Amino acid sequence: MTGIVVGNTLRTSWKQILYWGVGLGVLGLYIDFIAMSPDIISGYADLLQAMPPAMLQAFGVSDIALLTTAEGWIVSVFVSEAAIFLSVFAVMAGLNICANDEQSGLMDVILSLPISRAAYLLERWIGFALIGLGIVLLCALITIAGIMGMSVDASLDVIFKSILNLYPAALLVMTVTCLLATAFRRRAMAIGFSAAFVVVSYIFNAIGASASGAITDFMESVSYFSYIHGEAFVLGSYNPADSFIIIATVLIGFALSLRIFVSRDIGI
Amino acid sequence: MASDSVIEISGLSKTYGSGDKGTLALNRLDLRVNRGEIFGYLGPNGAGKTTTIRLLLDLIRPSAGSARIFGLDIRNDSVEIHRRIGFLPGELTLWEGRTGRQIIDYVGSVRGDAKGIAKHADELAERLNLDTSKRVRDLSSGNKRKLGLVIAMMHSPELLILDEPTGGLDPLVQQTFHEMMDEYRDKGKTVFLSSHVLSEVQAICDRVGILRDGELKAVESVEKITNVEFHWVDVTFRDAIPAGLPQQLEALPSITDVSTNGARIRMRMLGDFDPLLRAISSGYVETLHVEEPSLEEIFLAFYSGDKES
Repeated sequence: MTGIVVGNTLRTSWKQILYWGVGLGVLGLYIDFIAMSPDIISGYADLLQAMPPAMLQAFGVSDIALLTTAEGWIVSVFVSEAAIFLSVFAVMAGLNICANDEQSGLMDVILSLPISRAAYLLERWIGFALIGLGIVLLCALITIAGIMGMSVDASLDVIFKSILNLYPAALLVMTVTCLLATAFRRRAMAIGFSAAFVVVSYIFNAIGASASGAITDFMESVSYFSYIHGEAFVLGSYNPADSFIIIATVLIGFALSLRIFVSRDIGI
Repeated sequence: MASDSVIEISGLSKTYGSGDKGTLALNRLDLRVNRGEIFGYLGPNGAGKTTTIRLLLDLIRPSAGSARIFGLDIRNDSVEIHRRIGFLPGELTLWEGRTGRQIIDYVGSVRGDAKGIAKHADELAERLNLDTSKRVRDLSSGNKRKLGLVIAMMHSPELLILDEPTGGLDPLVQQTFHEMMDEYRDKGKTVFLSSHVLSEVQAICDRVGILRDGELKAVESVEKITNVEFHWVDVTFRDAIPAGLPQQLEALPSITDVSTNGARIRMRMLGDFDPLLRAISSGYVETLHVEEPSLEEIFLAFYSGDKES
């Protein structure tokens, strides 16, 4: 591994950091702006209180009381919304790792160069993982700058950690998409299954968190959304093991992608 | 392996799909390409040329058999092999948003000597009259092809694998390409070139392999293939075909398959043009069109005894 493909990936795709990071940052600023007004927050909390638990989960809220504080509001609303947008980025990044180049025929040129398939896939994965990190950091920076600029009463440390905690989930979606793309070879199939993975995870999390029981607990446990604990940072109940579970899943998923990619035909 | 063999293919087969739905694209291919030769790999579309090349590059995996390049196994030693070869795919895709220069630099850096390679790339680009400052999306298909040739040749590889290299190139650039191939051979380097254009193969190749339906039917010198060559000739007269001309032509040993259509006469001709020109001089010839035989026709002629006739 030389890092040349990582560098090329960053050179060709660095604008994504700007577009996605600023886009999510603007969303953060909007939520910061609302957090300035206690009346709006409490009104919103009253509205949500009337909703059934499943609906609350769909809005990324498990504790109404948290929504009455600016910090809880930002974390609950922003993190759950940003998680969905980042999932979209992650699916696109996962496709960019190999599926797009393979479908276009560019992979034939790349793999005729003196670089192994494994090294290429790894470097592409690292490149897009760095772009994802850049997006999360830029979005956190803008959101925190908004909090400081608007003098919102919220812990910068809590906000930063809760946004940064989105990153392992984004890596997971990216890796799952990469795995699907290497397994199915067809971009359209990879998109379809990746989208299904995100939507089903979201629904499982909403249903699982709104009821208790063996099935619903299982549904919640297999949803990656349930490991994105924005509120846990406010409540001080964040468990690092949750992030490790996601990262371990990412590593297993990428190892599977590698195994498939190095052993199959390219571009058929 | 013989020391002068650059490519040695043994029983190489490839089936796409599995079971009853599987398609046999290449069937037990045995082939040797020697150092310092330009080998033409001829066959109609779908014959298995690109499949062979993709197998050699380890882009796809064989269903059976094996192949070695420089004595190295194409699967286990693919990175080392790729270091020493240059490749131009038949359907070239490059990074659309990047300039030729940026792509040359990137490929050069993957190859490990960006500066040295870039210098040679500049020489090649100048020779092919290619502007490397333009983005790929702004290049014509011919210029993209030139960029592909530069990328394939810029590190002076020991073996060039070219899949239909001159498609989209104008005749002047094709001529330059032929000269470059001759120089390559003079330096003792090897070229494996697939094509379905006989004239291109005739112009630059030393030996030719003819592939048909996934099977290698013949490996011959270019001279031998050329000897079986015939032409389709169309002659259109201004007024009408002179009386008795079709019969006169059919009587010539070098002409067969005479057919007429109004003032136009079409025939299959072997060998020299002189007997034909003498025969048609009795009428006013408006146009004379000479057509190359298709590969399929060459192939059939080669094996049906036309060569002897």
